[in-house]
Amino acid sequence: MKNKVLIIIAAVIFALGIVGSIFVINSPKTDTVVIKRDDKILYTIDLRTATDRTFDIEFRGSVNTVEIKDGRIRVKEADCPDKVCVKTGWLSSSAIPIVCLPNHLVIEFKENAEVDAVAK
Amino acid sequence: MKARRIAELGVLTAAALIIFIIESFIPYPFPIPGIKLGLANIITVYAVYRYRAYEVAAILFVRIILGSVFSGNITAMIYSLSGGVLCLAGMLLLRKVIDEYHLWLASIFGAVLHNTGQIIAAVIILQTPAIIAYYPFLIVAGCLSGAFTGLCAQIVVKRFKKTPS
Ligand SMILES: [Zn+2]
Repeated sequence: MKNKVLIIIAAVIFALGIVGSIFVINSPKTDTVVIKRDDKILYTIDLRTATDRTFDIEFRGSVNTVEIKDGRIRVKEADCPDKVCVKTGWLSSSAIPIVCLPNHLVIEFKENAEVDAVAK
Repeated sequence: MKARRIAELGVLTAAALIIFIIESFIPYPFPIPGIKLGLANIITVYAVYRYRAYEVAAILFVRIILGSVFSGNITAMIYSLSGGVLCLAGMLLLRKVIDEYHLWLASIFGAVLHNTGQIIAAVIILQTPAIIAYYPFLIVAGCLSGAFTGLCAQIVVKRFKKTPS
């Protein structure tokens, strides 16, 4: 009996995970991208006007090479042990930031450019 | 603690460490941090059902600390510890409710709790709430990998039952 209840709970958690994943994948993207280290914003980039370029961001001797091309952004190369940031590829969803845990680096779409303009 | 008991714990810790290090050589194609099979958890799940709470904790934490030292990924240790604490606490509670024949179920909850701990650590360390977006993927991955490692642990328990200890 107890087992059955717990199996149902597990099934519900699994289903919620799938629904959440679909929701995250379908989140729309915006044009402004921020590159952050911990809670500090290193760069704010407007992808509509950004020129194609590649630049390095260093952290304690470890480097992430960021590439901007055709209005898209990605981590091209990295020194981190897991290379998750590189495998993420081009930033494509506002819900999925590019994250490099070892180098404390986050690249994400800004939720709303207008809100930020007002705040300034 | 008897010498025999200590020796058993040592063997289990060593086995978990070997599995952990071998697994760290497997490249995963997912663009999301924290998604992996977690094969070393086979040992954790098995230990939860065979040993006392502090004995399981010793196996788990020695494996996490030595594992991140050996694999050279010290940052990962914070995430593993955070996940490990939640996973262990959850499974020690669940072993009172879930019997030995449903190890896979306990393991699923353990894996989901482990990933929850990792997400919490990531949000706190990186100060980026957006990382929660990874959570649904980690839940799905946790359910699948948890079921797999749990079934493996169940086979181990069955095998050990045949041999008198
Ligand atoms: Zn990285």
